[in-house]
Formats: sequence, C-alpha cells, structure tokens
Amino acid sequence: MTFSKMLSTMSAGMLRTCGLFALTLLLSLPLGMLVALLRKSRLKIVQMLTRGFISVMRGTPLMLQLLAWYFGPYYLFGWSIRGWRFPALLVGFVLNYAAYFAEIYRGGIESIPVGQYEAAEVLGYTKAQTFMRIILPQVIKRIMPSVTNEVITLVKDTSLAFTLAYQEVFSLAKQISASQTSFMPFVIAGVFYFVANYAVEFGMGRIEKALDYYK
Amino acid sequence: MIIEMNHIKKHFDGLGVLHDISFGVDKGEVVSVIGPSGSGKSTLLRCATFLEDIDGGEILYMGQRAAYTDADGKAVYVAPKELRRFRSYCGLVFQQFNLFPHYNILKNLTDAPMKVQGKSKAEAESIAMELLRKMGIEDKAKAYPFQLSGGQQQRVAIARALAMKPEILFFDEPTSALDPELTGEVLKVIRQLAEEKMTMVVVTHEMPFAKAVSNRVIFMADGVIVEQGDPLDVFDAPKEERTKQFLRVFEQ
Ligand SMILES: Nc1ncnc2c1ncn2[C@@H]1O[C@H](COP(=O)(O)OP(=O)(O)OP(=O)(O)O)[C@@H](O)[C@H]1O
Ligand SMILES: [Mg+2]
Repeated sequence: MTFSKMLSTMSAGMLRTCGLFALTLLLSLPLGMLVALLRKSRLKIVQMLTRGFISVMRGTPLMLQLLAWYFGPYYLFGWSIRGWRFPALLVGFVLNYAAYFAEIYRGGIESIPVGQYEAAEVLGYTKAQTFMRIILPQVIKRIMPSVTNEVITLVKDTSLAFTLAYQEVFSLAKQISASQTSFMPFVIAGVFYFVANYAVEFGMGRIEKALDYYK
Repeated sequence: MIIEMNHIKKHFDGLGVLHDISFGVDKGEVVSVIGPSGSGKSTLLRCATFLEDIDGGEILYMGQRAAYTDADGKAVYVAPKELRRFRSYCGLVFQQFNLFPHYNILKNLTDAPMKVQGKSKAEAESIAMELLRKMGIEDKAKAYPFQLSGGQQQRVAIARALAMKPEILFFDEPTSALDPELTGEVLKVIRQLAEEKMTMVVVTHEMPFAKAVSNRVIFMADGVIVEQGDPLDVFDAPKEERTKQFLRVFEQ
C-alpha cells in the first residue's frame, strides 16, 4: 500500500473523528450547563441525583461507559443493537463530557462575587436576566482555560471509539498497520491528532484574547 | 414619607441582628446612620432594599405596604411582580461598588434602564451621559471599570443607581473601600445630591460629613436605634451614654 493510498483510506476516518468530536462538543457544552444548574437546584433530590450522575461519569472509565451504552440495550432488554453503534458512542461521549463541563461551569459560577448578584437584584434584573447578562459572560471568561483543556482531551479521547469498532482514525490506523505491517498509519494518526489540537489551541486562544478586554 | 420601616426584626440562624427598629424618611431628607461594627447598619439597608427578608415588622414605600406581619407573626411580602415595583423605588450603593466588569461605563449605566425599565437606547444614553457629566467622568464613558480609580468607580456606581430614577438612594459605607485621598471626591458628589434634595440614607463612618450634610443622624448599636435627631444635637450634645461612648472612641 502506497503512502498516498494509506492517507486517502485514513482520511475517511479523520472525517469521522472530526464529526464525533464536533457533535460531542456541540451537545455536551450546553448539556453541561443544564447539569450544572440542576446540580445547584434548590430541590435536594434533584441535587443528589445530579451529583450521583456526575460521580459515576467521572468515576468510571469512559471506555467502560461506551461499552455499557452499546451493549446495555441488548443485555438488559434483548434489543437488537444494529445501527446503534454511532448513537451509543455519541450518548457515551456527550454524557461523559457534559459531566466534566458541568463541574467546570459550577466552579465558574461559584467564583463570581455575590456582590454581582446583589447589584443586579437591586437594579431590578430578573433571575434569568441576571444569569444571562451579568453572570454567564463573566463565567465564560473565567472558565476558558479549563474548557480548552477538556476540549484537547476530547480530541484524543475520540480514539476510544475504536472500542466499539467505529472506523475513526485510530481504528483505521490499527487495522492498516496490522495488515501492512507498517508503523506509518500510527505516525499519520499521531500527526493528525497533533494538528487537530494545534487548531483547537489556536481557536481557543483567539476566543480568550477576544475576552481580554476586561479584568 | 418615601420609606417607613416599623418594628423591623431580623435574625440570622437564631442570632438577633435587628430588634424592633422603626424609622421613616421624608422626601428630600438626608439621613446618616452611624454606629459600631456589627450593630446591624448594613442589615437594615439590605432589608430596606429587599436583599434580605425581614422576620417581623412592616416596610412601606410611598405609603404602600411591601411587607407586613400576618396574624401568625410571620413576615409576608407582596407578590414578586409587585415587589419589583417596590424595588424600583430604591437604589443601593455598595461599599465594594459592584460594577459589572464586562460592561463599559456607559453600558453599566444604560443596561438596567433598557432591560428592566424598557427605556430606548437613545433615552438611556442621554440620561447616562448627563449623570456622568454630573459626576465629572463623562470622558470615561467608553472605559471599563478596571481602568478606573476606586473613587471614579464609586461615582459610576452612584450614577448607575441614579439612572434608574429611584425615589430614595441608600449608601452602605460608600467611602470605606477608598484611599483617604479619594473619599473626598465621592463625598462631594453625595453632598451635591443632597443640595438637589435627593432623598438619601447614608451609613458612614465619616463623622464630619454626616454632621455637615445630613438633616438627621441615627445612632445604632446592638440592633436598636439608640438615639436620633439633628446632627448638631447628636454629635455635640448626645443624650445617651452609649452614644457618648461611641463618639468618644471616634474622636481619638
Ligand atoms: N448573612 C449573614 N449571616 C449571618 N450573620 C450575619 C449575616 N449578615 C450579617 N450578620 C451578622 O449580623 C450582625 C450585624 O451585621 P451588619 O453587617 O449589619 O453590621 P454593620 O453595622 O453593618 O457593621 P459594619 O460597620 O462592620 O459594616 C453581625 O453580627 C453580623 O455578623
Ligand atoms: Mg456594614
């Protein structure tokens, strides 16, 4: 297999990796906010359930969670899992990352001085206005470094999709490497992940810079 | 009367902080509140501005009841929508300014009038610029809070409160977080508002200022009003032993 043939075979995997990455981010970033708000709910039971959810998501290996989402429906209910591979992956990644993002958001929300809430309250802002206009913008600025960390981890974590034999970059690299007895596919995969994360760092850096206009 | 607070009781986890406090403020009056640390001055202002719920007593704004005590002795507040109207009667200036750091000065002054009161951008901005001129900081309209000195930030905070056109403005130690050389510029602004007959209640440790500017001084200690009256009487001829003792400590 020539180098260019390898590259073109793997580029399909790169697209799948990018798709999984983008969809996970798109869904887990807002879902994380919902989880963070539930975690701070006034209802004790909601608070406890959310806390339990976050504990499990962070306390067990993501690989195990992916296997559970994929095979769970079959073992629990005897359902057919045909066509369930990608949805299971997505559910696994999104829920796991939502839990991590939720904790980052919570830390950010709790770091905003109480005086900001009080100033807004006295001025007559509603609770929703206070959160959307006063608190959230400041939270976003504060959590950017931690979010960048998580996003970089996610780029690399997408390789865990090989557990469910999903044909993303890493799975393909393994297959081609085995069949061609060549290490080149792994080098290609490594360069791909590195370049992807370089782009992430660059993009997030730009956002951080754009938020640098105030302290 | 703009505000009337009657028999206010407030405690934090069983610890009594306000014991049966009653006072009112007439339109155009400037009232100074003085007293030792922990006497409940901030708590009183926070109850008056609805940041803190009272446990007993009643609060009236413009003669209308915002909170009262029911037959079971429990404090009851009017419905949230009503309460928002009562909130709009009062403004509060904090010791720590609490400006919104992500908004420039102009936006700090226009956001609430636009989003809370539904004023147009043009109207809100013209009110804001007028206030900034009055505060002597119109050139800072496009600056962000972190670029201003403490004294300037506090003047912005005062302007932000005034932009809502409150009936009464409360100040909680507005100069305590400032370097001595910056307190003057803030006190000057408050003095100017007093001359324009803005109704104000100022918690302060600046005795000469309280004496010169206010129509009435309230001395609080341990959650009660010990003595109140004309500043000349309270400062120069206090009746209560507790007041004398407090003022003596202050003179040293
Ligand atoms: N949120 C709170 N929870 C518990 N206790 C509180 C709370 N706020 C105030 N207190 C207590 O209530 C008492 C009165 O506090 P307050 O801040 O009203 O006093 P102050 O007269 O403003 O004092 P200072 O001059 O130091 O500002 C203090 O004993 C304080 O510890
Ligand atoms: Mg205080």
